[in-house]
Amino acid sequence: MTSAASIHNRKSRSIFADLMSSKGQAVLLLLPPALLLFTLFVALPLFDAAYYSLFKWNGYGTPTDFVGLDNFRQVLNHGIFWESVRNTLIVLAVSLFIQLPLALGLALMIYEKTPANTLFRLVFFLPYILAEIASGLIWSFVFDGNSGVASAIFKSLGMDPVFILADRHWAFLAITLVVVWKYFGFHMMIFVAALQSVPKELLEAARLEGAKRWEVVRFVQVPLIGAAIGVSAFFAVVGSLQLFDVVIPLTNGGPSNSTHTIVTYLYSFGLTRNRIGFGSAVGVLLFLAAVGVSIFYQYQTNRRSK
Amino acid sequence: MANVELSNINKTFGAVETIPDLTLSVPDGSFTVLVGPSGCGKSTLLRMVAGLEEPSRGKISIGGRDVTHEEPSKRGISMVFQSYALFPHMTVEQNIDFGLRLSKTPPEERQKRVDAAAEILHLKPLLKRKPAALSGGQRQRVAIGRSIVRNPDVFLFDEPLSNLDAALRNQMRVELADLHERLKSTMIYVTHDQVEAMTLADQIVVMNAGRIEQVGAPMELYNRPQTLFVAGFIGSPRMNLITGEAAAKEGAKTIGVRPEHIELGERGAWKGRLRFAEHLGNETIAYIDSELGELIIRINGDHKMKPGEVLQFQFLQEHIHRFDESGRRIQ
Amino acid sequence: MTYARLVPQLARLAILLIVVTFVLGPLTVAVFGGFKTNGELLASPFGLPSHWNTEFYSALLNDPGFWKYLGNSLIISLSTVVLTLIVAAAAAYVFAQIRFFGSRMMMSYLLAGLVFPFATAILPLFIKVRDFGLLDSYWAVILPQTAFGLSLSILLFKTFFEQLPKELFEAAYVEGCGYIRFFWRFTLPLSTPILATVGVFAFVQSWNNFLLPLVVINSRDLFTWPLGMMQFRGEFLVEWNRVLAFITLTILPAVVFFVAAQKYIVAGLTGGAVKG
Repeated sequence: MTSAASIHNRKSRSIFADLMSSKGQAVLLLLPPALLLFTLFVALPLFDAAYYSLFKWNGYGTPTDFVGLDNFRQVLNHGIFWESVRNTLIVLAVSLFIQLPLALGLALMIYEKTPANTLFRLVFFLPYILAEIASGLIWSFVFDGNSGVASAIFKSLGMDPVFILADRHWAFLAITLVVVWKYFGFHMMIFVAALQSVPKELLEAARLEGAKRWEVVRFVQVPLIGAAIGVSAFFAVVGSLQLFDVVIPLTNGGPSNSTHTIVTYLYSFGLTRNRIGFGSAVGVLLFLAAVGVSIFYQYQTNRRSK
Repeated sequence: MANVELSNINKTFGAVETIPDLTLSVPDGSFTVLVGPSGCGKSTLLRMVAGLEEPSRGKISIGGRDVTHEEPSKRGISMVFQSYALFPHMTVEQNIDFGLRLSKTPPEERQKRVDAAAEILHLKPLLKRKPAALSGGQRQRVAIGRSIVRNPDVFLFDEPLSNLDAALRNQMRVELADLHERLKSTMIYVTHDQVEAMTLADQIVVMNAGRIEQVGAPMELYNRPQTLFVAGFIGSPRMNLITGEAAAKEGAKTIGVRPEHIELGERGAWKGRLRFAEHLGNETIAYIDSELGELIIRINGDHKMKPGEVLQFQFLQEHIHRFDESGRRIQ
Repeated sequence: MTYARLVPQLARLAILLIVVTFVLGPLTVAVFGGFKTNGELLASPFGLPSHWNTEFYSALLNDPGFWKYLGNSLIISLSTVVLTLIVAAAAAYVFAQIRFFGSRMMMSYLLAGLVFPFATAILPLFIKVRDFGLLDSYWAVILPQTAFGLSLSILLFKTFFEQLPKELFEAAYVEGCGYIRFFWRFTLPLSTPILATVGVFAFVQSWNNFLLPLVVINSRDLFTWPLGMMQFRGEFLVEWNRVLAFITLTILPAVVFFVAAQKYIVAGLTGGAVKG
C-alpha cells in the first residue's frame, strides 16, 4: 500500500519536475503562441463553419434558427452554385493539363544554370509574386473592349471589337488565361529545382545508352521528378479550389453570374448578403473537397513510394 | 574490338586550357589506365572519348573510324561512372537492358544478353531489385553489367572504385582484371590511385596539367621513369628525390632512389638519424633525417630500430635515377 | 555540343521569347499606359507613349490617400512578418529539438493548415474577429493572416532546424545552456537564411492579400493598397490611364523587392515543395 503510494507520488513529482526543467519551460513558453493563434483563427472557425451551416442566420446575435441541412439543400439546388463548380473544374483542368505541361516544358528548356536561363526564370516567375488583384486589373484592361489591347488586335484584324469579359462564352476562358499567366512560373520553379537535383551522370548515362533528347526526358527526367510533379499538381488543385482575387477585378462573377468560382460564389451569395449559414455551408463543401483532394494525394504518394 | 587514337587534342573551357595538345594511342585489347592527380585532365580526356565533351581541336578515332563529332551512343563505347549513375526508378534488370530497349532489340536477344551479363557478374538474384536496395559493390556490378550488354568495342571507366571501401576495392580490382581477361576488349580506365594503375594496366598513361608525362607498361614506368613527376608519382612509399652535392656527383640536377634501393650498413657512405620506423611485419619503413635531407628507406623483415639511432646507408648504384634541370631523365 | 544543333536551339529561343512577351506584355502596357492621355491610350494601347505625361503618376504620388494605403499595407505586412517569425520559429524549434509526449500529434494539428483553403472559414472568421472586437483594425488582418501562414512557416523552420548539427546543442547543453537560451543564442542567429525566406514569404502573402482585408476592414483610413486600388478603380472607371498608373506604382516596389529577395523566395519554394 505504502509502496504503491510512493511510486505514484514519485511519478507525479517527476512530471512536475519535467515541467519545471529547461525542457518543460521551453515547451510551455515556445509552443502555446502558435497553438493559440492557430486554434483561434484557423481551427475554431472551421468548426464554427460546420455549426453555422446548420442555421439560417444573418450574423447578428446568436444563431437560433436551426434549419438542419436546409442550407446545403439550397446550395445544391442553386444553378449558379453548379456553374461555379463547373468553372472551378475548368480552372482545375486547365491548370493540370495545360499549365503544368507548359511549366514542365519551359523548365526543361531553362533548368540548366546559365546566366540567360536565370534571367528567363526570373521573368517567368515574376507574375507569381504580383498581387492577384493587380494582375486581374491589368488584364481587365488588356481585355477591355473599348480601349484594351484585345480590342486593338480585333480592330487590326478588321473585326468588330468583342467585349471579352462581358461575353458569356469568352469571359471564363479569359480568366483561365490570366490564371495560367499568373501561376505557371510557380510550377516551373518547382520543376526547375527538381530537375537541377537530378544527377548529371544519369542523363549522360542515358545518352551513352543511345537515348535521344526526348527519351531522356521521358524515361529519366520525368520519372525522377515524379514527386515534384505530384506536389505541383496538388498546389494546382488546391489553388484552383480557392481562386478568388483574380476573378473580382476581371468580371466580379459576371456577366449574369456566369463566371463565379466557388469562393466568389461564397463571397457574393454568403457574405455580401449576410447569409452566414448559407455561406458556411458552401465553405463546408469546399473544405470537404479540399480534404478529399489531400486524402487522394496522400494515397497516391504512399502508393508511389512503395 | 578497336584501338583508340587521339591526335592533337585540345580542350579549352572558356579561358582555361585544360588540355593543350595531346596525342595518345590506345592499342586494341589493351587495358590502359590514365592516372594523375586530380585536375590533370584525365577525366576530361575520358569524357571526350565517350563523346560527352567535344574537343576544341583535334581528332578522335575508334577502330579507325573518325568519331570526333559522333553521338556517344554511336561510338561503340560504354562507360562506368564514378557514381555508377544507375537509374533509381528502374530495377537492376531494367537498368541493364535500358539501352537495348531503346534500340528496339528483340526481347529474346535482350533476355539472352542480360542473363549472360548477370551470370558473369553474379547478379542473378538481384535482377528485380532497385538500386537503393543494393550495396556499393553490387551497384558497381550493375553499372558494369549495363556496359557489358551493349557489347562495346571500348569500355570506359571513370574512377569506378573510388566510392568503395578498401576491402571491396581490392576485390573489385581482381574482378575487373578477370573481366578484361574474359572479354579481351579495349578498356580505358581513369584513376588517381597509382596502385590501381599498377595492378590493372598493361599500359599506363601518367598525366599532369593536361599533358602526358609518360606512357608505358607498369614496370617500365617503375623502373625507368622518364620525368621527375612520374618518378615521384609512381611507387609507394614514394621515391626519394635528392638534389645538391650528392646529385652533382652523379652528373645530375636531381637523383632519385626508391626506398628499397637504399642499403643499410657500416660501409655506408651517408649518415642519418632515425626519426621513426613503421614496423609492418614483412617489411620496415624507416624515416630518416639525413645529411641529404629526409629519406625513406624500406627494409625487408622486421628490424629493431629506435628513434634517434644513427644509421649509415648507401644507394644501390645501378638503381639511381638521374634527372636534368628540366626534370627529364638522363639516359 | 553534338546534341544541341542549331535548329532546336533557335526553336527553343523563339518559344522562350514568345513566353517572355506573354509575361511582360501586359506589364509594359500598364507601365506605359500610365504615361498616356486617355485618348492616346484608347487609340494605341501598346507601344511607347508619344509624349511622356508624368502628371498621372505625380497626381498619385502627391495624393496623401495613396500613401496612406501603402502605409497601412506596410504596417500590416511588417507586423505579420515579425509575428510569424517569432511564433513559427518558436514552435518549430520545440518540434525539432524536444521530444515530448504528444509532440507529433500537435505538429500534425498545426500542419493541417497546409491542406485547406483560407476561404472555407472566411465567414466564421469574420464573426470571430467581430466578436473579439477587432473588426476594422490592423489586428483583424495581422492575426488571422499569421495564423494561416503558420503551417507552412513551421514546416520550413522545422526542416531547417533539423539540419543544424546536433552536436552543437549537445555541446552547449553540457556547458549548462538550457533549451530557451540555446534557441535565442544559437538557433536563431544560425538560421538567417530560413528567417529571410519565411519573412519574405509572409511579407509577399500579406502585401498581396485581398480577401481578408476586404472582409474585415471597412473604414477607408485603414484600407490596404489592394482595397484602395479597387476603390480607385471604381472612382475612375473610364480613366484607365490613372488606374494603370496606380497599378504600376504598387507593382513597382513588389518587383524591386522580388529582384532583391528572389534567392529566398526560390529557396522557400523548393524547400517547401521538396518536403511538402
